[in-house]
Amino acid sequence: MARSIVDIAVAAATKGNASRIVRVNVLAGQLRGIIPAQLIFCFGLMSENTIASGAHLNLEITPLIGRCRKCEEDFPVEDYSYFCPRCQGQDIDIVSGTELRVRDIEAE
Amino acid sequence: MKINVMTDVLEANDRIAAGNREVFDRHKNLVLNLMSSPGAGKTTLLERTAEALQGKLRLGIIAGDIETTRDKERLDKYDLPVVQLNTGSACHLDANMISSALPHIDLASVDVLVIENVGNLVCPAEFKVGEDFKIMILSVTEGDEKPLKYPLMFRESSLLLVNKIDLLKYTNFGLKEAKANARKINPGIEIIDISCITGEGIAEWTAWLSGCYQKKFGTNSRA
Repeated sequence: MARSIVDIAVAAATKGNASRIVRVNVLAGQLRGIIPAQLIFCFGLMSENTIASGAHLNLEITPLIGRCRKCEEDFPVEDYSYFCPRCQGQDIDIVSGTELRVRDIEAE
Repeated sequence: MKINVMTDVLEANDRIAAGNREVFDRHKNLVLNLMSSPGAGKTTLLERTAEALQGKLRLGIIAGDIETTRDKERLDKYDLPVVQLNTGSACHLDANMISSALPHIDLASVDVLVIENVGNLVCPAEFKVGEDFKIMILSVTEGDEKPLKYPLMFRESSLLLVNKIDLLKYTNFGLKEAKANARKINPGIEIIDISCITGEGIAEWTAWLSGCYQKKFGTNSRA
């Protein structure tokens, strides 16, 4: 994962004609169970000798949000309980909380 | 300067998984990604499945393990196409490992391909390998609270096999609680109780397999 983040960031910076990456902003859904300290540590290792070396990896943990297919209510899923608080529906789509995405980078 | 990216971290893996899926579809393979803790009974389930499917659907197996070819040795006596993948220290299979195994298995002779993932309830759930369905085993000796502790895998799985139910009376495992916990995480999950020792539930499990094959290809078997 850390290597993928470095690869994606370096490719984006190269495409944007940047020569050094300062910060990488990653959206990490709550359900992915990312441990920030561990991923940041691995990112540091994987970015050595690349233009992302020394960049700050910022992990934004996004909460688990469900959407009821019956009444279209959006609600935070707490305690992993997939029940609509409005209509008690059980047919729930996850609209946020499973993503793992490089949102943007800051480079110079 | 700020550069927008919006690229999935696992995009490279998902692209390879989609490629694998195309290969499987072309060969008319129903593909299952089988996940569980170490020791839940993945290989034993495959032994029972090989016996139960004889003369019906042709089974093929890609078995992932950190070390050893013991799983392959156990499965070889059923005369099936089996490929053993040693992942080294990796705790899960990814799409690229499966892609590299494909030249070593005759997919044209397989109806149902089971990819036996590395025993682990966390990482395997993250990586698509090109499967139609993720399925998992939870054995009664592991505890009924596991769905709450490892939600992603239970959320991603279409089918949960509760194994070793012949041992229920020797454990404090709550079968009802385990199912309620799994359905709390994933209301749509199908659940079958099995024992690979007594054979209970194995017919129901193979009927599930046949049903999936029928749904995907519109036929019971190409044989």
